[in-house]
Amino acid sequence: MSLSELKENKEGLVTNVQGDTRFMSRITSIGLTPGCRVTVIKNDKNRPMLVYSRDTMIALNRKECRGIMVEEVTA
Amino acid sequence: MSQSATIALLGQPNSGKSTLFNALTGLRQHVGNWPGKTVEKKEGSFSHAGKEYLVADLPGSYSLSANSDEEVITRDYIASGKADVVCILADSSQLQRSLYMLADFAGIDAPCFLLLNMADVAKDQGKQIDAEAIEQKLGIPVIPFSATDTKAYGGFYEALDRALTKKARLNVEALSGQYDSVKGFREICSLIPEGAIAGYSPMWIAVKVIENDKVVLDRLRNAVDAETFGRIEQAKKDAQSAVETGGCKFAWIDEVLGSAVTKESKKVSLGRLDRIYTSRVWGKAAVIFTVLFGLIASFIPALPLMGVGSVILMAKAPVGNALTSIGCPEVITLIVTDVIIQSFSYIFKMLGFVFGVTLVFGLLEEVGIMARISYVFDNTMGKLGLQGKSVMPFLVSFGCTMGGAAGARVIDNWGQKVLTIALAWAVPCGAAWATIPMLSSIFFGPGAIVVITAILFTMLLHMWVTAKIFGSRLVKKEERYGMIMELPPYHKPRWRALFGYVMGRTKETFIRVTKVVLMVCGLFWILSYSPSGGNGGILYRIGVAIEPVTKFFGMPWQLFLSYVASAVGKEGAIGVISALYNGGSYGAAFTQAMSGGGTAANLSEILLANVSRPEALAFIFAMTFNMPCVVALAATYQETHSAKWTARIVLYYTVVSLLLAFAAYHIGLLIW
Repeated sequence: MSLSELKENKEGLVTNVQGDTRFMSRITSIGLTPGCRVTVIKNDKNRPMLVYSRDTMIALNRKECRGIMVEEVTA
Repeated sequence: MSQSATIALLGQPNSGKSTLFNALTGLRQHVGNWPGKTVEKKEGSFSHAGKEYLVADLPGSYSLSANSDEEVITRDYIASGKADVVCILADSSQLQRSLYMLADFAGIDAPCFLLLNMADVAKDQGKQIDAEAIEQKLGIPVIPFSATDTKAYGGFYEALDRALTKKARLNVEALSGQYDSVKGFREICSLIPEGAIAGYSPMWIAVKVIENDKVVLDRLRNAVDAETFGRIEQAKKDAQSAVETGGCKFAWIDEVLGSAVTKESKKVSLGRLDRIYTSRVWGKAAVIFTVLFGLIASFIPALPLMGVGSVILMAKAPVGNALTSIGCPEVITLIVTDVIIQSFSYIFKMLGFVFGVTLVFGLLEEVGIMARISYVFDNTMGKLGLQGKSVMPFLVSFGCTMGGAAGARVIDNWGQKVLTIALAWAVPCGAAWATIPMLSSIFFGPGAIVVITAILFTMLLHMWVTAKIFGSRLVKKEERYGMIMELPPYHKPRWRALFGYVMGRTKETFIRVTKVVLMVCGLFWILSYSPSGGNGGILYRIGVAIEPVTKFFGMPWQLFLSYVASAVGKEGAIGVISALYNGGSYGAAFTQAMSGGGTAANLSEILLANVSRPEALAFIFAMTFNMPCVVALAATYQETHSAKWTARIVLYYTVVSLLLAFAAYHIGLLIW
């Protein structure tokens, strides 16, 4: 599923990232690469998402999140 | 004995780069533009142990890709060899992620060393970092550091010296080994001759080819023969993209950090403050409250400078009298009092604003609140093609446009910064808000509230239209992307460095702005000056001559000349009107009004007797949406570094304010 479908306080494992060259390089440089774990901190409509990954709180535009595929991790 | 060395500072946003830069250089810094580019170039200098150092603060970005001019400038500067050493900053509290910059840098030929900044924060989080173990793997000096701690700088100078003497190069063998697993990498790498693009290794170029880096591909096309380039392109087709090379970079970082970092795992959650800022209900209100509170707070440090401005203005009469008494020609006396003293009074009042706003905005940025503001207003401002932060200059502009323009410097993209300033001009400033209700209530009584509402509505429409008109030129479609940004942890500010930065910016603004203000004030004075003392002067003659035209916009010559005066300073508009309708000369009215005095006691009677309601409405709109004032113009020039764009904005506002006056007048004629 896509990252934006992951509910608040759930953890996911990034499986795939898709988008244009610019998006790919931006998302990689902030650390969201396949294999890394993300925790969804905030997922409100009409607001950027807040996720936590690699010790970093990251704000992500909702539309951009569509290209990030995750698998939910049940702890 | 004074040798000098150049240090380039490289690091991701929030890595503490600016704090280090400000702490090292203090007042000895200068902001300009990169040659031929619209990207800000920050340079400074310091001396240590008898040696002179130049520091280039490279633009902050998350990587060295070709996503923006900033990134291309950064990597080309490093590769050019202009810097003797590159100081790379990483955030110890988010070490894995922030080392990405180092991994992206690897393969550019330059001596370097690594600062593990915010070592104190990492320690508080229970992380232990073995810098020596990392140093051995990387082959460059690596030290734990805290830019906010004065005692940490000994270690910095020592590492700097070691990197310079050893000409320390980053060991990229292990990284290259990681890339070997990427399909096509080896082949592309072998096709690229050493030195194909000066300063970059074949490994670095190959990785950028795989990442589909347009700038690198174009240069490579010119550097190798067509056949080789064809083969490179063929091999690239098999390769994946930035995702795979990015994976390699992080795998290498994990390998480097290995057992050098130990941490206690913690459950993450938002702090109390962040729960408010990120709340759907309270977020926007909290941001607006924060900015307003910051604005009020910024008046405190601004007051002394504004006081100086008022004191200078008080000198006008005594100096004028003194000059007259020693027999100085009237023209010279007037130039001294009405142009020079007047300008410096403006300039100092403005510096007060610049000082206060720079301090408060700089503080919000350093503490980390600015990132929250960006987050909260991302969606709203995104519709105008702007960043969330742009909301701040807009709010400031309700008080003072020059403060808004000065505050726009927190926006790191030049196009978005210029667009923000261009839109901030549409926000009526404090002086306009003092005039609008006064004029409206004289003419429309309780209807004033309708006029004020119409002004606010027009402002929003104006901003929207202006964003459409200028937006496509300033912020290109492909540069409009959604937010991908870190929300940094809150930091304690480093006051000394912050003050150093603020003083530096204020000093520079003073030097730059003085010229512009003197020039524009001088020009207006010459145009208004009438040697006979009576009605005369170039502006007056033009105003009277073109009255048939200005009447079309709803303004008889008196109102039109007040409108012209409102471009210098809106506080003067009413003064000019009352003087002109009382039979005063324009030249005298103009200079008196600019000194703040001159509202006639019988203002409402003269206005009601001479001006019709549609004309009043036209004037209110024309004055409100005219160029804010001379100092706002100077501040705009100072922040955009572009005379062309400043002129464009001035012209645009003049035309639009006249169009609005025209519309208001003709709507008024239909009603009354």
